[in-house]
Amino acid sequence: MVSVINTVDTSHEDMIHDAQMDYYGTRLATCSSDRSVKIFDVRNGGQILIADLRGHEGPVWQVAWAHPMYGNILASCSYDRKVIIWKEENGTWEKTHEHMGHDSSVNSVCWAPHDYGLILACGSSDGAISLLTYTGLGQWEVKKISNAHTIGCNAVSWAPAVVPGSLIDQPSGQKPSYIKKFASGGCDNLIKLWKEEEDGQWKEEQKLEAHSDWVRDVAWAPSIGLPTSTIASCSQDGRVFIWTCDDASGNTWSPKLLHKFNDVVWHVSWSITANILAVSGGDNKVTLWKESVDGQWVCISDVNKGQGSVSTSITEGQQNEQ
Amino acid sequence: MEELDGEPTVTLIPGVNSQKKQMCFDWGPGEMLVCETSFSKKEKSEMVPGCPYIHIIRKDIDVYCKILRKLFNESHGIFVGLQRIEEELTGKSRKAQLVRVSKNYRSVIRACMEEMHQLAIAAKDPAGDSQFSSQISILSAMELIWNLCEILFIEVAPAGPLLLHLLDWVRLHVCEVDSLSADVLGSENPSKHKDFWKLPGNTQTLTELELKWQHWHEECERHLQDGTFASSPHLEALCKIMLGDEAALLEEKELLSNWYHFLVTRLLYSHPTVKPMDLHRYAQSSLDVFLGGESNTEPLDNILLAAFEFDIHQVIKECSTALSNWWFVAHLTDLLDHCKLLQSHNLYFGSNMREFLLLEYASGLFAHHSLWQLGVDYFDYCPELGRVSLELHIERIPLSTEQKALKVLRVCEQRQMTEQVRSICKILAMKAVRNNRLGSALSWSIRAKDAAFATLVSDRFLRDYCERGCFSDLDLIDNLGPAMMLSDRLTFLGKYREFHRLYGEKRFVDAAALLLSLMTSQIAPRSFWMTLLTDALPLLEQKQVIFSAEQTYELMRCLEDLTSGRLVHGEPDAQQLQDDDIETTKVEMLRIGLARNLARSIIKEGSLEGS
Repeated sequence: MVSVINTVDTSHEDMIHDAQMDYYGTRLATCSSDRSVKIFDVRNGGQILIADLRGHEGPVWQVAWAHPMYGNILASCSYDRKVIIWKEENGTWEKTHEHMGHDSSVNSVCWAPHDYGLILACGSSDGAISLLTYTGLGQWEVKKISNAHTIGCNAVSWAPAVVPGSLIDQPSGQKPSYIKKFASGGCDNLIKLWKEEEDGQWKEEQKLEAHSDWVRDVAWAPSIGLPTSTIASCSQDGRVFIWTCDDASGNTWSPKLLHKFNDVVWHVSWSITANILAVSGGDNKVTLWKESVDGQWVCISDVNKGQGSVSTSITEGQQNEQ
Repeated sequence: MEELDGEPTVTLIPGVNSQKKQMCFDWGPGEMLVCETSFSKKEKSEMVPGCPYIHIIRKDIDVYCKILRKLFNESHGIFVGLQRIEEELTGKSRKAQLVRVSKNYRSVIRACMEEMHQLAIAAKDPAGDSQFSSQISILSAMELIWNLCEILFIEVAPAGPLLLHLLDWVRLHVCEVDSLSADVLGSENPSKHKDFWKLPGNTQTLTELELKWQHWHEECERHLQDGTFASSPHLEALCKIMLGDEAALLEEKELLSNWYHFLVTRLLYSHPTVKPMDLHRYAQSSLDVFLGGESNTEPLDNILLAAFEFDIHQVIKECSTALSNWWFVAHLTDLLDHCKLLQSHNLYFGSNMREFLLLEYASGLFAHHSLWQLGVDYFDYCPELGRVSLELHIERIPLSTEQKALKVLRVCEQRQMTEQVRSICKILAMKAVRNNRLGSALSWSIRAKDAAFATLVSDRFLRDYCERGCFSDLDLIDNLGPAMMLSDRLTFLGKYREFHRLYGEKRFVDAAALLLSLMTSQIAPRSFWMTLLTDALPLLEQKQVIFSAEQTYELMRCLEDLTSGRLVHGEPDAQQLQDDDIETTKVEMLRIGLARNLARSIIKEGSLEGS
């Protein structure tokens, strides 16, 4: 049974485009067409506004929290072609870096697994993907993949870090060598997989073709210890595909159609601990899917927007206003 | 797309209400966020006031319920105990032990109910009262179901005693039965009844019981026909009831609180030696007759019916849907699994039913700031996905205090979850560095066995020393022990501190030897050599000769090595010139000191002892 345990009044003055919990579920970041990014402390069912960050000059599309080992760091991307990285220093949130390397709206930002360092991937409507790497002392190194997708890139998602076998006996002080990969989805109806080469350059490793319209979102599933890799993709064509790759062979990705919806599917997202896929439909629902024993994907729940009351939780004083 | 039997549950989110807007969502570590949005990104807003609310939704919110805390804690103890004695459960005592475990679980439920009852009385608050009473009735239903499952599945009461157990069951859960039994049993032939029921079935076979009952039944019938009770309609009705006359029984419907009470009473008087496999027929008909088509069945009725039909999977399934948390089904299923009653059911979501339910229950516990510790044990007893589930959950526990962090780490270390240990220690180490608590940072990086980070922190220590002329966290550095070997820089830090200690204890010869070895063994970073050589100066200035001639030659070599490696980079500025001046002076002083020492040491070594 699912219950609403907290309703946060963000007081955004315009449409909210993204909301993200931090690593521990104690803070909530939101961004909006009102150009602001807000951060709330939501522990114990409360809501305390910690920061109201201004700096973007257009609607802010996405926010992403970095791993807590780097401190409290949040990235945001906007229609104003900028990516801003915010950091909490001595209790206050400030802009710590601004990236202006794109010619068009930046649609998606995603932090790499913490094992790789502090690296941010950004996808833009100018078709390029930029990768910002923190090199220390306030400096960020930029690498750009131009023309990653024709017309535009809509989403980026990193592959989970694979612990290399040689990590156990590393000579002291040496950095282990990870194979860094991420996936991107674009207006060319394609999903592309990118890999970092030894010389530090990013190369297109794979093209995944199955959609017949713009790919709106890609999400690489977290690792649950199995040898397969899984990516979910959704598109303007109403379809959601689950792509799997048996890591033994390494390079063959096979798509399975999860479902064909009646409308554009905008967003897919994997749960962090249970490998449940949440899919937003254009039909104003969020559906939850899980894989059954025989490899079929089954819908386990519908979360539907609606009017009126909902099964409330035990805590009193829920505001179920319209 | 495969279909589950049943439509997926729909949860409505309040407030997100518009034809044009959609629902945006994302996952938190243990919850989901939803809010209203419009996905088609337009630069200009529609100027329609949007809904500024973000809803945080969760499953398993009962974990926050204080009153149930005791239930979770105590059942955890029973659960772990059961897993541990599994190997010892053999032979005849096995069943008795499992029944005992079942009774333990039930007593925990009852204790919880009792506590709630007391709290309700003490509270005297109408709102709280209704909350308590609804919780109590849920717990009561759970105990009812569990008890029935215990009788039918675990105790596996054979025909004969089965009805006794069912009688007890009804008596325990339905208060009114006492009055009815008293009524009925207090009839004209108490002695016959006593005789009949005194026998627990141990010393009699089923057939003997049947015969006795038949005999008594015939006698009753004769009495009825003979009109023995003609004068008293009440007694006549009683007699009919005793003969199992359904119509007569139904006339006393108000005294029967529900259909299963009716069922047991009916069986008592018509089929007291009912066999388990026949039970379901009577159950279904009792339900139908009692309700008489007036009302629909409730979830509880369906669960009990499924139990009477011995359909364990159906019982579990219905309970999962009807109850708001996984506590009940997880523990009951685990117990039934130990009774070897669950076939490997082809569950949709991989692994077996027991593990699936335990994983769901344990995941829910991790939402709570202290109950997560119970969850760890549940994951431990899930052989397939327990470990990986624990790894994922444990990293997300907020490390609000050092104490909590240590608890989490201990859990990970006990299970050799090295990746998680490393990650958690790194988070704590970096937080410490940011707050300038270098000692803390160093101990976390040692615990994480993170060489790279230990090097970083050691560098900070050394830098601090150069700036301030003293060490912080001496205690820690002095007691590094074998951890010193983690990284070269850390070893140097430890040894350098040791040099200072030796100097402080006036063990100059030892200190001198150590200082030299730090340079010659290449453990000291090049950038630090000047500092080390400067440290050598006071040793060179001592009255007695400390460095031997050979050692002095080594030091000289080091100095030359260092100075020859220096290059001038472009045009030196004023600061650089000033620095260079200081450097030059130092080098000069060193050269003089070394030369003097060389002379003295040669003389000393060349002379005879005592001269």
